[in-house]
Amino acid sequence: MKVTLVSRSGREVIKGGIELADGATVSDLQEAIHGRIKKYYPSRQRLTLPLQAGSQGKPIVLVPKSKLADYCDGNANNLTVLFKDLGIQVSYSTLFFWEYLGPLIIYPICYYFPVYKYFGYEGERVVYPVQTYALYYWCFHYFKRIMETFFIHRFSHATSPLSNVFRNCAYYWTFGTYIAYHVNHPLYTPVGDLQMKIGFTFGLICQISNLYCHLILRNLRSPSGNGGYQIPGGFLFNIVTCANYTTEIYQWLGFNIATQTIAGYVFLIVASLIMTNWALAKHRRLKKLFDGKEGRPRYPRRWVILPPFI
Amino acid sequence: MAGFLSALRRIYLSLYNWTVFIGWFQVLYFAVKALREGGPTTVYDAVEKPLQLAQTAAVLEVLVFILCHEDTAWDCRIGEIASVSDFASNWIEIISCLGNLVEHSGGNPYTIRGHMFLLAPWLSAGLLQRLEFFWQSIIRYSFFGMKEALGFAPSWLLWLRYSTFLILYPTGITSEVGLIYVALPFIKASEKYCIRMPNKWNFTFDYFYASIIALAIYVPGMFLMLLIIQVNKDCLPNCFNHISSGSPHMYGYMLGQRKKALSKSKTA
Repeated sequence: MKVTLVSRSGREVIKGGIELADGATVSDLQEAIHGRIKKYYPSRQRLTLPLQAGSQGKPIVLVPKSKLADYCDGNANNLTVLFKDLGIQVSYSTLFFWEYLGPLIIYPICYYFPVYKYFGYEGERVVYPVQTYALYYWCFHYFKRIMETFFIHRFSHATSPLSNVFRNCAYYWTFGTYIAYHVNHPLYTPVGDLQMKIGFTFGLICQISNLYCHLILRNLRSPSGNGGYQIPGGFLFNIVTCANYTTEIYQWLGFNIATQTIAGYVFLIVASLIMTNWALAKHRRLKKLFDGKEGRPRYPRRWVILPPFI
Repeated sequence: MAGFLSALRRIYLSLYNWTVFIGWFQVLYFAVKALREGGPTTVYDAVEKPLQLAQTAAVLEVLVFILCHEDTAWDCRIGEIASVSDFASNWIEIISCLGNLVEHSGGNPYTIRGHMFLLAPWLSAGLLQRLEFFWQSIIRYSFFGMKEALGFAPSWLLWLRYSTFLILYPTGITSEVGLIYVALPFIKASEKYCIRMPNKWNFTFDYFYASIIALAIYVPGMFLMLLIIQVNKDCLPNCFNHISSGSPHMYGYMLGQRKKALSKSKTA
């Protein structure tokens, strides 16, 4: 069959189209495109069916494992596919590694090295126990995240655009610096002993719960990366859709209770907003997918991310 | 019911736009009057109160956006964000920078010679910027006031809206940045709006460093906005009908819109 590849402006991406066997899959098409245009490796290609003029809806994305013939309606010998270049892609592992590396390095720098003298604070500084524990807590957190990235997470998409590296690193590194500066400041005022203990203990429990949530999520996905959705269950997932985000938010809360900085709380709020956004999308997607029709199970009533609010 | 709400919305929008127009026009009037009567150094005192009022009233823009935007996509909100940031930066500048500057330099920020300031924006950054902003706002608000109330805007006003910015945006940005830069030593010396440690919440704010960061972000930020707008071009025509934003930072965007709008009015 012949596949005509067009860009969204109507221009033919590959003149004359591509000839493929009738039983070819989308993946074969992707390889063929990559063969013709070297820079468009498969993860950079976004292939969709052209939208009918006037129809709103979301465009149908071609799934790599499907047969091309499945997307032909009527004319089995010709298929027109819309092509979009997603730009340079990096693997999610790479993205996460770099964004977490920043905080992991910057925070100890503020703790161990005399950086504050460049801000005008000369002389020895007193280090409170809470600041030391905060260092351990923080570094453990980001170390855990990096380990999870390489050994636990199973990503739905293999790659992410390169621009996200800059955006995400800016986010993590800037906030990391912002918080590290304040907690390790020579004029830092510690909270009471009990408050510190409560904060760190609660935070640690939530971090471990978070790890367990990630393990549960990992087991929902098969190693071959089928990418199909399943209803999460077990542990906190019985109550809340995105228990992993819930535990993440609470562990930051624990950190902030113990360290008490505006910087930390600002970060908590921003992070919570971002994660709530994601959680709402995921919850909606799962409810739409598991509607209880045609033998599919019905998605149970659950909190989205932060009971009892949402 | 829907009809009533939409009529209410139109009334609010036209009232709002006309009120703000009158507010800014008043500022312009006082500024020009003071300029002619007392020279450039008296302008700030003459306009300070109405200026702060008019600029703060821009917070109502947020309500305008909410009214106008139920039906636009998230990408189009970039225009809103640009406008809100524009408002925030102008407000901060007017309230703090300009005030600081005047306060600490005895009301005579820099030597200005009569009409020279029109030709040398970096000398009278604050004044010129205010003047331009007034003018832009006047044009912008009268444009939208007319559009909302009467359903159309005269073509000369349309032309003004899309053409005056060609000169005013670059000089506006230059003078805004220049103003902050010139105010820096005064900001550092006065230690105004600074929060120091130690305190219970372990919070610091240094107005001087914040201003430097603002300077660093300003121009690249404008280009970043431009880039984002360019990328989301497809939703722009829709956006533009609704947003009352004339953010000074979207020069290229305005250029594109200008071409579109002026050619549209020709064929209409």
